[in-house]
Amino acid sequence: MASLGANTIAILIALGSFPVSLALTRFFMYWNLKHGIIGIDVHKLNRPKIPEMVGVAVPITLVLFAAIYAMVGGSSSIPLLAYCLVVGLAALVGAVDDRLKLRGIFKPLLTLLCGLPVLILGLAFPGQVYTSTLHVPLFGGYHLPVIYPLTILVAVSVTSNTVNMLDPLNGSMAGGISIVAGGLLIGSLLVGAGSTSIFLYASLMFSLLGFLYYNRFPARAFAGNVSQLSIGASVGALAILGRTEIASIVAIFPNIQNSFFFLSRIRRFTEHRELTSKPTKLLPDGRLADSEDPRAPLTLVRTLLIGRPATENEIVSTIWMLFLTSTSLAMITLLLTGVPR
Amino acid sequence: MNKRAVGYELVVFVTQWGLMLFGFGVLTKIIAPLNLVSTSMSLGLYLDAAVKGLIALVLSVTWLFIWDRQVRLYFRRRGK
Repeated sequence: MASLGANTIAILIALGSFPVSLALTRFFMYWNLKHGIIGIDVHKLNRPKIPEMVGVAVPITLVLFAAIYAMVGGSSSIPLLAYCLVVGLAALVGAVDDRLKLRGIFKPLLTLLCGLPVLILGLAFPGQVYTSTLHVPLFGGYHLPVIYPLTILVAVSVTSNTVNMLDPLNGSMAGGISIVAGGLLIGSLLVGAGSTSIFLYASLMFSLLGFLYYNRFPARAFAGNVSQLSIGASVGALAILGRTEIASIVAIFPNIQNSFFFLSRIRRFTEHRELTSKPTKLLPDGRLADSEDPRAPLTLVRTLLIGRPATENEIVSTIWMLFLTSTSLAMITLLLTGVPR
Repeated sequence: MNKRAVGYELVVFVTQWGLMLFGFGVLTKIIAPLNLVSTSMSLGLYLDAAVKGLIALVLSVTWLFIWDRQVRLYFRRRGK
């Protein structure tokens, strides 16, 4: 395993993001509740009011620790700067959406711009941020000097929006993406990837775990678009910076399926809150069931509920299990791809 | 929890994973080495990239179509 010392330092620094994210989450729970930034947990019978946008703790932690790593870790600061800008821009778009309730089409359009820092810094510092060679499992790779840079913008927009769309239940996004980050971290360690991507995956995982502590069932904190979009953008940016493009697509299979079936049914970019036909319904005993509305999208949660209602906790555990499966396939993909240098 | 639904999801994921690796193999070994548009032409490099990009797009849409059919086959049939 290449440069074990550098990787160990990277993981140790990233470990610090867990308590920081935990403390920031606790702080924003208090602050947001005090300032009336709240949402209603519609999947509970008593419909409790929960502080919203608390997940902002995650992008703050990610940017903070990327800055610390740039100063302490001694690695090139250009990829870290690109990463921070992507996460920060996506968080900004999410925060604006949380406060102003933008129309559904604006999120994918605005998040297209979030990949620009990777593209611009990549063009300004060739070879430091990304390489235009796509490494393919089993079959080698090919150079894409024109298509690859253009794909960066689409990739960040797709990952941020698809992660945004699969957070209907307590802890589903935070738990799912922490599994993805953890799996890709292990995979990157096994193939001997660079310490910067090791650090960024570890930092993403630990930050999410800190937030998950309060977001897990029954949630005491909601993520909000500010967190969902920035975490999704982080996954997209890391796929490019860490050269784990194909493995990252595999790891987020549950998100891809959910978004694809949502869009194929609704046929436009829209917000969940604007849907007139809901995919699931809350039963009097507190369990969730398929709404059986043919106009409603066949979301991932709905497929798991067809013919048999379940508790929210059971559904979230199953979603995590699906993420564990897709992430295992992603790790095999990484091993089949080999050392992405 | 509907265990059969979970099983179907796993089958869908593994199938799509296999198809994805196959598709990237086709792109790497067959499509990428082709010279579809002469690169000596003005903008030839970009036209060649655009045509290959279109082929990749068609493969991606086919991949999503197969995903769609699988999920509809497993879940719609049970839902109706």
